[in-house]
Amino acid sequence: MEDVRMKEGLHACMNCGVCTGVCPAAEFYNYDPRQIVSIVQTRDDGAIEDLLKSDTIWYCGECMSCRPRCPRGNTPGYVIQALRTLSQKLGFFVESEKGRQQLALKRIIGENILRTGYCIVPRLVKPDLHPEQGTVWKWIYDNDREIYGQFTPVYMREGAGALRRLDEGSLAEINEIFKVSGGSEMFDTIERHSDRKAREMGYEEGADQKYMMDVFLSNSNEHD
Amino acid sequence: MKRKSWQDYQKEIADDHYYYARSCIRQNFFPGSEKLFIDMLHNDLGKDLLDDPKHSSCTGIGYHSDIVPLETIMTVVARQFALMGESGYENLVTSCITSFGVYTEILATWNEFPETEEKTRENLWKATRREFKKPASLAHTSDVVFHFREEIAAQAKKRLVNAATGEPLKVVEHIGCHYAKIFPKSGIGGSEFPYVLAGMVESWGGECIDYPERRHCCGFGFRNYLVQANRGYSIANSHKKLESMAPYKPDFIVANCPGCAMFLDKWQYAIAEMEGTTYGQNGHGIPVLTYEEMAGLVLGYDPWVLGMQMHQVNVEPLLDKMGIEYDPAAKYLGRNGKYIGKPESAVVNCCPTDTIYDIRE
Amino acid sequence: MKKKVIVIGGGVAGMQTALRLAEQGVCPVIIEKEAELGGKLRGWHVLFPSFTPAGEVLTQLRRRVNEGGIEVMTSTEVAGFTKESVTLADGRTLPCDSVVVASGFTLFDASIKEEYGYGIYDNVFTTVDIERMLNEGRVAKADGSRPRRIAFLHCVGSRDEKVCQRHCSKVCCITGVKQAMEMKQLFPEADVFNFYMDIRMFGPGYEEMYREAQQKYNIHFLRGRISEASPTIDGRVQIKAEDTLTGRPLRMSVDMLVLIVGMRANDDNEALAAGAGLNRAPSGFLAPRDMFLGNVKSNVDGIFYAGTITAPKNIGESLNEGIAAADAAAKYVGA
Repeated sequence: MEDVRMKEGLHACMNCGVCTGVCPAAEFYNYDPRQIVSIVQTRDDGAIEDLLKSDTIWYCGECMSCRPRCPRGNTPGYVIQALRTLSQKLGFFVESEKGRQQLALKRIIGENILRTGYCIVPRLVKPDLHPEQGTVWKWIYDNDREIYGQFTPVYMREGAGALRRLDEGSLAEINEIFKVSGGSEMFDTIERHSDRKAREMGYEEGADQKYMMDVFLSNSNEHD
Repeated sequence: MKRKSWQDYQKEIADDHYYYARSCIRQNFFPGSEKLFIDMLHNDLGKDLLDDPKHSSCTGIGYHSDIVPLETIMTVVARQFALMGESGYENLVTSCITSFGVYTEILATWNEFPETEEKTRENLWKATRREFKKPASLAHTSDVVFHFREEIAAQAKKRLVNAATGEPLKVVEHIGCHYAKIFPKSGIGGSEFPYVLAGMVESWGGECIDYPERRHCCGFGFRNYLVQANRGYSIANSHKKLESMAPYKPDFIVANCPGCAMFLDKWQYAIAEMEGTTYGQNGHGIPVLTYEEMAGLVLGYDPWVLGMQMHQVNVEPLLDKMGIEYDPAAKYLGRNGKYIGKPESAVVNCCPTDTIYDIRE
Repeated sequence: MKKKVIVIGGGVAGMQTALRLAEQGVCPVIIEKEAELGGKLRGWHVLFPSFTPAGEVLTQLRRRVNEGGIEVMTSTEVAGFTKESVTLADGRTLPCDSVVVASGFTLFDASIKEEYGYGIYDNVFTTVDIERMLNEGRVAKADGSRPRRIAFLHCVGSRDEKVCQRHCSKVCCITGVKQAMEMKQLFPEADVFNFYMDIRMFGPGYEEMYREAQQKYNIHFLRGRISEASPTIDGRVQIKAEDTLTGRPLRMSVDMLVLIVGMRANDDNEALAAGAGLNRAPSGFLAPRDMFLGNVKSNVDGIFYAGTITAPKNIGESLNEGIAAADAAAKYVGA
């Protein structure tokens, strides 16, 4: 628990519940940020390990609505970030349905960052995986060059402007940053533990595309 | 809405010479807004801004999805600072609320834990042979628009008033959690009564609505939207906000954060398709604008030049109210007026068959 | 010639100090910044736990001060002091043999807790407003109608690092219980909720009163601090909190939200303490020389404390401290 977010996020909790009262996740899931902080505060290794293996730590939306209100100056959202980082480092994330989704996030957002220098690009928001994006988005997706071309001179090309292709040198720098600062290691860790878990769950090819799509789509509906 | 003095929370916003950092979500869903921001600064306000092709995402969506470690995002951010310094700029302006939160959090963390800044310098040097200076000022793009709101008002072609009645338009301003909830002092007006959008709305003739879920999150929740299995969280929170604001009959929503603008627009579509519920007037949805679009309309830009055809909820009812002239037939054209077909109709836009051209009837 | 002791502050502690000094053969002078004696007591309606009218206590104390011929300087502000003299804001200096500081506390300004919208939303009140309304004989919603659901929020401006008030203000719990009961007396049909973190019933008769509030008045005690308040379209107040005993978030609309405001150190404590060489506690209140054997003494010989200048206290405790401080000062001046 060397994470600076743990030092900054948790001083001492008096269980007032102000965090839970405004938490969007608490309204939707069976989730209580106060109780998480309370468990971490006990320093009970067994209880913390259970937490790291549970769905619970993956419900938070990191909106940080808890942060400005806490009368003790804690940030439950920071505590969650530190717990999630630890859960991934220790490989515990694969023990819960919501935790296993980290593989999908790594493959969708993470790899896109290394490939394009941006978290999201239009081609990533595929209408069949994003029905909620609506009919206008489908029209944009199908006519991307025509539409984006009105707002940027460099759609998917190098140069200055929106949605440009980042130059090779810059992309190489981003990739190198991930290598030296632990980003690539985190990605590898997520892959490695996911592969182990996938095989344990009976996916013969390990964490393949099918496993990834299953974790992306499946919802046991046992979260509220 | 009533509020106390917002002056308790003010910050220094640079007057000129900005280094611009683009937003993943804004450039994807609101590329016209990013274009307007640059055009407005250059042409309408005569300011200098650099759009550096070498900069990248801050990786904030990855960070808040917990796949990008803190050390990594710090180094990516340090690279942006390095590029800015190398270009001779020191005022960073970012087009994204999540980025703004990330930059603010990182600067505060370096301040509190100087060893993390040292480590970042090492990492950046190792990876890129670059060195950086921290920015002299850090602002969100909306801070800059707020800063020049009176100059914009002075050049206004349209105001945020109902052209037929002269009444101020009723506006829901949605701030975006990471603007000031992480560091209340970093946002104009603080976290409880932020004034960054309200200041624009009031200067341009509109009136903001206070409603029970005003401060509630739009529901993005990072992994709670990005992973399909979790999207119930996202729509449930948007739903809560929309239900809460609807009785006040807002004329439009203006959002600070590009993600919020997108979700409040798209989830209206999904709710209408699923339940048949629409929250606006006459069976329409509530138009959701970015503040750049709002500024652009006030300055007299064509709505299709601003990219408002990319919204799911039709903006025409608002344009009509403001008395804005527009060409309905030009809405869904491609480059150089090329016909590229039009989106399928949707419940949120009502009148399923004649939405596109007959909206003013 | 009689020794002269200046008592700074003419609230309950200051008046009691002066009365006791006079009994001891010392000549007291009360300096009060307001136009009349009484301090915060002037704003209260009835006192816990006995429901004694505040006016009774106030009238008695004022009458005794008056009958004792005690010199009182009202509308007079103190700019600084040492044990030998008190300097007034108008520049005059009054020599003396000792000083008792009884300048009390400041009520927390609830508007600083921006998330509750005090001063913005019409139906958000403080306990001070409720006392005033009770005194005026008219407790009602902003539009004059009868409330049907009332929420009290404990610890507003207490136990809160965000507003730099880490301490417990001690008397708010019982104030909240008292006012909840008064509301129930006025509006028997209303639901009354008290949102608390801990109910600290430290005084004689307090726990009994808490029980009565639950048992006889059916006041609902909900363990959770309110996260935010916002307006509803019909002029009510929506609140969000967690019911921490069930671990679930809750949201409800109430007709009145009453913020139970705490006691904080006076802003001028810092300058006065610096001028006289006095120690202050981290809370900003002045620090007694010793928590056990010297709690009405300051770290400077000849300067004494009475009442809430050193910490939040109830009226009974403040009155007792007035006697203790007077005795200590009298002994010091050799009376």
